[in-house]
Amino acid sequence: MVSPEMQKLAEERAARMQAAIELKEPDRVPFLGLGGDVIAAYAGITAHEYEFDYEKNRAAVIKWLKDFPADSATGGLGGLDNLTMSVAFVDFPDLANQFFMVNGPMNDVLDMKFARFPGRQLDANSSRQFIGGKNMEAEEYDELIADPVKFSYEKILPRISNNLKDLGSPTSLAAMARLGMVKAQQAAEMGKLAQALAELGYPRGGGMTYAFAPLDYIGDHLRDLPNVVLDIRRYPDKVKAAAEAILEVLVKWTLQGKAAGAKTASFPLHLNEYLSPKLYREFYWPTLKEYILRVRAEGMNSRVFCEGWHDPHLDTFLDLPAGWGYVALEKTDVRKAKEMLQGHTCISGGIDVGVVISGTPAKIDEYMKALLGDMMPGGGYICGPNVGNLPRETPIENIAAVYEAVEKYGKY
Amino acid sequence: MRDELLKSFVDMDEQEAVRIARELIETDGGAAAVLDTCKEAMEEVGRLFEAGEYFLSELIAAGDMFNQIMEFTLPKLQGGEVASIGTMVLGTVLGDVHNIGKDIFKVMAEASGINVIDIGIDLPHEKFVEAIKEHKPELVGMSCLITLGVDSMKRTIEVIREAGLRDDIKIIIGGGRVSQAVMEHVGADAWADDAARGVRLSKELLGKE
Amino acid sequence: MPSPEMLKLAEERAARYRAAIELKEPDRVPFTGMGGDVVAAYAGISSYEYCFDPEKSLQAIIKYLKDFPSDRPIGGMSGIGNAITQLAFLDYPDLTGLFAMVDGPTNDILGVDYIRFPGREVDEYSSPQFIGAEYMKADEYDELIADPVKFLFEKIVPRTTRNLRDLGSPAALATMARFGMHKARSGAFMQKQAAELLKLGYKSEPASFFLAPLDFISDNLRDTVNLVKDLRRYPDKVKAAAEALLEPMLKLALLGKNIGADMAFIPLHLNEYLSPKLYNEFYWPTLKEGILRMLQEGMKSQVFFEGWHDAHMESVLELPAGWGVGYFEKTDVRKAKKILKGHTCIMGGIDVGMVIASTPAKLDEYIKELLGEMMPGGGFILSPNIGNLPRETPIENIAAVYEAVEKYGKY
Repeated sequence: MVSPEMQKLAEERAARMQAAIELKEPDRVPFLGLGGDVIAAYAGITAHEYEFDYEKNRAAVIKWLKDFPADSATGGLGGLDNLTMSVAFVDFPDLANQFFMVNGPMNDVLDMKFARFPGRQLDANSSRQFIGGKNMEAEEYDELIADPVKFSYEKILPRISNNLKDLGSPTSLAAMARLGMVKAQQAAEMGKLAQALAELGYPRGGGMTYAFAPLDYIGDHLRDLPNVVLDIRRYPDKVKAAAEAILEVLVKWTLQGKAAGAKTASFPLHLNEYLSPKLYREFYWPTLKEYILRVRAEGMNSRVFCEGWHDPHLDTFLDLPAGWGYVALEKTDVRKAKEMLQGHTCISGGIDVGVVISGTPAKIDEYMKALLGDMMPGGGYICGPNVGNLPRETPIENIAAVYEAVEKYGKY
Repeated sequence: MRDELLKSFVDMDEQEAVRIARELIETDGGAAAVLDTCKEAMEEVGRLFEAGEYFLSELIAAGDMFNQIMEFTLPKLQGGEVASIGTMVLGTVLGDVHNIGKDIFKVMAEASGINVIDIGIDLPHEKFVEAIKEHKPELVGMSCLITLGVDSMKRTIEVIREAGLRDDIKIIIGGGRVSQAVMEHVGADAWADDAARGVRLSKELLGKE
Repeated sequence: MPSPEMLKLAEERAARYRAAIELKEPDRVPFTGMGGDVVAAYAGISSYEYCFDPEKSLQAIIKYLKDFPSDRPIGGMSGIGNAITQLAFLDYPDLTGLFAMVDGPTNDILGVDYIRFPGREVDEYSSPQFIGAEYMKADEYDELIADPVKFLFEKIVPRTTRNLRDLGSPAALATMARFGMHKARSGAFMQKQAAELLKLGYKSEPASFFLAPLDFISDNLRDTVNLVKDLRRYPDKVKAAAEALLEPMLKLALLGKNIGADMAFIPLHLNEYLSPKLYNEFYWPTLKEGILRMLQEGMKSQVFFEGWHDAHMESVLELPAGWGVGYFEKTDVRKAKKILKGHTCIMGGIDVGMVIASTPAKLDEYIKELLGEMMPGGGFILSPNIGNLPRETPIENIAAVYEAVEKYGKY
């Protein structure tokens, strides 16, 4: 049972996040907390155990969140982006989202070529990894454009999953039945974790659903990144037409997440840092912008994670109406972003994971003090790490120093 | 023709650059001229990248053009015409299986005259030691994209030090998550989170700039 | 947690059952109890609810078993066998078991052509039903014989399963994922159900499943009427097909060992249709071979002799004594006892028609007489002659049977 105090705490935490997104000053700066591989290390288990053993995973997450409480829960069974399968099954709204993240046990069943998991394809203490690859030839753009769903199902899925290589074979059907079993089991396990988190005063999940810039689907899952940047020069019209065709499918998919209770569409950008402002504005941003506006029209806000340096493209966010959502920044300086976007776009990030790994508690205290001093005034800021994953070896005293500094300097 | 090649290459006009290069190699001393011009063009692309005018997509496109042109140019060159300014052993450290950043860097480094020995991805620490012993490079390049790689680089460098090889080489680390702080933490000599900077610093470490 | 008394009771019940199978006299006559549609009616729920709502179904079973305790738990999940799909996925032993029983929600997902569920394809107070049809043409025998598993997967599954009609389609893959999800959830529920029944003193014992190869051809592929004609038109092909199916069917049954099953249930169907000559030539050889091979692997059989089996009783004696249980429907158990005593455990005896139509007083007398004749010498399991008591069965009649067993069932 969730005590009334914990229910109240969960509401406070959710309100804090919401206020920042609405560009206001909450009572304290909302803090996303730190997480990643270090959660398993802190619990004394391997990355493999963390990714494959539901009970150990849950115990590790609970231990972490008890010792390092923040405004949103981090950790749990993570996974790798399996967008092809969500696209391929977009006409099956009960399934499309369930296939999106491929985690360790799911990958045991599907055997995706892009996936590497600890204790399977990698060392037991490595991080899970996504390996891009070319799964589509340039000559196939027309097919993709004509019907992205059919193309993703018939052509791409067999190329990326060893066990779905021959669609309609007993092996492929067996893999899907096993996948269903794994998903049902995980749903039950995730239910237990959600309950435990509620008892620790965390808002109930379901807040976010994924979304992708259409060009990232082409770059990450179909053509491979180096090829898509060449395609932009060689077949610009086809790339554009493909992005537009994909947009329709992805919007449909994200809105399925909304129907399941999500309020925020979370866009992790990838190709952004590869493109000049000219190419970004011509090829990448139009469908991304349209996407954000389309889900907004349905009542969702967006979170855009700008991988790498997003500096030259930051101003494009001003094309969106104020209060559209928030940006999570990796290498882009949050202070510079604030100058440009204050009063228009909430900013999240600011804690350089490199500093947490290699700094000292005293330096970190100073770093956090300066960060919060610069970023908090005026509101519209969510404090968090610039990337989601702290490695296993991150010094715990450095992590503690971050949390203590947020406690010390995070009050409005 | 050299100027036209340089211009079309730097302007990312792939078809034109390849066409001119094909023509040029048929002339006397043309192959060497193509090589030099393409190197110069790559250097210019790198400069434009560092100036913020070009982006990774241009680096990838330039690398692709360079490889395309070299494919028909290198067989036409005499032995002495391909000069190397130094050797680098390059690989992605243990635990990390990403290769995109390493591959972009590799072609740019080769274009700048560095003889790159690419030893692969997800490499046990000892692989670096073996490769250093075998190829006797001046430089070792270590790449990682994910944060896990930070500690892996640190341990790799320790293993190189234990093998008594650390003082013979300069180490540059590269990848999405490296920084000055990370460089000091792992004990490398230089860091770069983009390929152009990486090539520039590598040349500096070789004393060629 | 079940109390020590209930654990002891569960052991006693299981031991009673086991003793009879081993042709001995237990402390009391083992009684399977009488269940079926009446279990849902007794709990005041529809057959639809019983088939589709696991929680209501479990509560109904618990209520019934509390009021009518017996030596075996009655009821449980209500469904229809799906041997076609089981055999089609024979090379995936972790999945074949999941296809064994198609319950209501599973049928919503798969859309099996030959299954009807209450509240879906039939009235909500009706029973789940199997309606065979012709899914294989006579000219396909050669394909079946060449590779039964491949043939069933590629040809028959798409014909019998609406949502797997186009095996390579996204709809088919989605169907399999939904199927897996449902099975994982219902599997978790079955564990819960087993724990609840143990609290009432019932052990849930896993059982295996085997079909006479000719029954499989008849019920699942050709339909009975066609098969009977095939016996005369293409006798060699029918024989070859039965032989080709024997190995996959055996492999399937023996997979049950992985979950600890030591008894295979074999419901016969075509037996009653065949003359002794046809029975002995076409039906019995592969059935007998199946029973013997399973026995070699430590698995006994419980054969349900549907309808009149009188004409074929002698063939049972070809099996070694102690091979298993003969469960009789219309064949008189007294007659069976005369022939099979000391050789085959006999199961059955309670005519469901009597329970439906008679009175408590007459039933008391009926059971008294039955037990008086059947118990001596052991090797007898008391059970209704078919598994399903209809919803309208008078409860006082059911109670009369249970009371009579209590009164007259002591050795």
